Amino acid sequence: MKEQVYINKTSEVYDAIVIGSGISGGWAAKEFCERGHKTLMIERGGVVEHRKDYIGENTPMWKQDLRGRVENILVDQQHKIQKQCYAFGNNTKHFFGNDRDLPYTTKEGTEFSWIRGNMLGGKSLLWHRQTYRLGEYDFNANKLDGYGNDWPIRSKDIEKWYSHVEIHAGISGAKENLPNLPDSEFLPPFEMTAPEKDIQAKFAKLYPERPMIMGRTAHLTKPTELHISQGRVKCQARNECHAGCSFGGYFSTQSSTLPAAAKTGNLHIAPNSVVHSLIYDEVSNRIKGVRIIDNNDLSEREYFAKVVFVCASTIGSTQILMNSVSKKFPNGIANSSGVLGHYLMDHNYNSVASGDVSGFEDEYYSGRRPSGIMIPNFYYKPDPKRGFLRGYALGGGAYREGWDAQQHQDGLGIDYKNKLKQAGKWRFGLFAQGEMLPRFENQMRLHPTLKDKWGIPQIEFDVRFSENEKLMMEDATEQSMKMLKAAGLTNVTGRTKHGPPGLAIHELGTARMGRDPKTSVLNGFNQSHDIPNLFVTDGASFCSSAVQNPSLTFMALTARAVDFAVKELAAKRI
Amino acid sequence: MKNDHCSIHNAVDGLTGESTSVTEKQKQSRRRFLKGLTTMLGGATVGSMLTGNAISVAMAYVPSSDSILTDGKVFNKAQLTLLKQICAIVIPKTETLGAAEVDTHGFIDNQLFHCHSKAQQKRAIELLNLINRTAEKSFSTLFLNINADQQFNLLTELDRGELRFDQTQREAFKELKRFICFGYYTSEVGATQELRYDPVPGGFKGSIPYKSSDPSWSTRGLFD
Repeated sequence: MKEQVYINKTSEVYDAIVIGSGISGGWAAKEFCERGHKTLMIERGGVVEHRKDYIGENTPMWKQDLRGRVENILVDQQHKIQKQCYAFGNNTKHFFGNDRDLPYTTKEGTEFSWIRGNMLGGKSLLWHRQTYRLGEYDFNANKLDGYGNDWPIRSKDIEKWYSHVEIHAGISGAKENLPNLPDSEFLPPFEMTAPEKDIQAKFAKLYPERPMIMGRTAHLTKPTELHISQGRVKCQARNECHAGCSFGGYFSTQSSTLPAAAKTGNLHIAPNSVVHSLIYDEVSNRIKGVRIIDNNDLSEREYFAKVVFVCASTIGSTQILMNSVSKKFPNGIANSSGVLGHYLMDHNYNSVASGDVSGFEDEYYSGRRPSGIMIPNFYYKPDPKRGFLRGYALGGGAYREGWDAQQHQDGLGIDYKNKLKQAGKWRFGLFAQGEMLPRFENQMRLHPTLKDKWGIPQIEFDVRFSENEKLMMEDATEQSMKMLKAAGLTNVTGRTKHGPPGLAIHELGTARMGRDPKTSVLNGFNQSHDIPNLFVTDGASFCSSAVQNPSLTFMALTARAVDFAVKELAAKRI
Repeated sequence: MKNDHCSIHNAVDGLTGESTSVTEKQKQSRRRFLKGLTTMLGGATVGSMLTGNAISVAMAYVPSSDSILTDGKVFNKAQLTLLKQICAIVIPKTETLGAAEVDTHGFIDNQLFHCHSKAQQKRAIELLNLINRTAEKSFSTLFLNINADQQFNLLTELDRGELRFDQTQREAFKELKRFICFGYYTSEVGATQELRYDPVPGGFKGSIPYKSSDPSWSTRGLFD
């Protein structure tokens, strides 16, 4: 990226400020820039240049410090929370927030694991890239059972925006025509292995209501001209994505939205700029700009724009709103409803099951597929007999055991070495990805006294999985085991876990959309009910979690909101 | 065009100092990796990018042939010498080098110190002491002085938790075996010569033929 893209001090009044550079922020910047709007992207962390700063990429295990593990002392002092994320390791640790500098608290008796990616690109570098649309059943869910408020949008409102972002980002998957999971604009799907195809066929007979499909993922299985023009090539199936990918094989801000935004000449980026709060003008009832604390030297500065998009991650965005207080908004800006910070959700991954697959000894695979299989939520229709509300999807996949699974067996010497050299038995497993109900009690708030090093009040979480989520996970374990056994797997085991919320890293809600300004923060275009030039387009805006991985919906909501904001700006309504 | 790739390949090999140790298969993978990149970026950028991808080479454990000559970070010289022999018995030299030849014992000493708890370090030391104590009880001499069959049988009993050993001791040995396997199969020899190494597969194929003489993949995704 050209040096002049990065700025520090400026008095320019931009057309748009975008707070955050992750999946939502990248999309907001691209869409504004491509419509000819001068845009300032504000990032609290440092710059990560595509390719150049992927310092953990393509490094063989034997060349990595501690073979990919992270030093005990470093983990204890700086990564106590972040280490709980499956993707935390030696060659990704620089993309995770530093827990020493980013303290937060949880209400006594509750737990919440807050995983952070505070650098240019945000969690778009670290995400797991599974991409699914929300469908009509999802948008209707709150209305049907009364938990949470009704989504102010339906499929018809967002369909074309899903298509818009999918074509640019590149989503691999297969058309399935399912009632419960809309298709996307697809690049070819990844292949299934032979046992997966076999299990798929068995499930199709045994559980016709539970089709097993290939996971949909933001990887270029067959790049289009558009992707090549972004500087991206085919996914090489290394599955080392979280270290960064110089091929641009997966969608990230760096690989996809940032080059498009920068190409327009309309983009500036202010890195190392921690947003303290929004500058509000009560007379005009508009946001004028943002107050910044410098990430490094803690000095203060301000940036100005006609419209502000808050895309700082679910919790980050709401923290900024809560810390922006004024006479009119003593409890956080745009919070006349009083629901800001409430209805915090995550997904629930607390159920796993697996078993041995016999046969297929002459079958293997090559490459490391950065995706698995998916059984979309089969409880999409409410049923009071089920005993809990909403449902779950099942993810999973098959693999042949390698040395690491086989090492536990008894044995020493040449025989042992030769056994570990061979590919072992096939295994197939499922994990649940459950919906979490939107509940008022589950919330984040500003700590009354504790602050971080930038002088910003720390977050206190008060979030629990409810009985509904626990019952759902028990059901998932039972159903998964039953399905695996029915498909002929042996040594089937399953486990319902009790992990705290947060670790799905699918934080959602806290500044929800809605039709009624009295019970929601944002309208159906992610625009603040209270302040017309303020938008929040990341996960904070969600009314329900559904079961789908949410990032694709962040993209579509953001692109749609920019389109709306640009029209409103032109009409001088904001 | 083809020559361009070759010269970049050589240039990169030169920069990373790998030209003498990489196998033909690795070179092919590397060429594929570079081909994709050079198509987009041109050679100079690729060269600098790859040399930049060296997160912790300076800190990575470098195998040594004389790690038993001095005390380590967790084990003393005598314990390292004993551990080296255990490595040689668990994963011996065959057509490929074994765990002892690639200094898995030195690696374990370093890894235990940096990445594992004091309790695990203590357990490993106690296990080594147990092995010597058992040898002394049965043969009135240290483990290293008994013959190869006696050594193999003693460790086999320990591995099964039978006769002279109990289940707790067996678990401690399983833990040591995990360290040995991790050290060996993530070493350059273990990953690239004993197993199949393919850093840049170029794509995913869901079905390829397999026969039992084929080595399994050593390369994994980061978080499989």
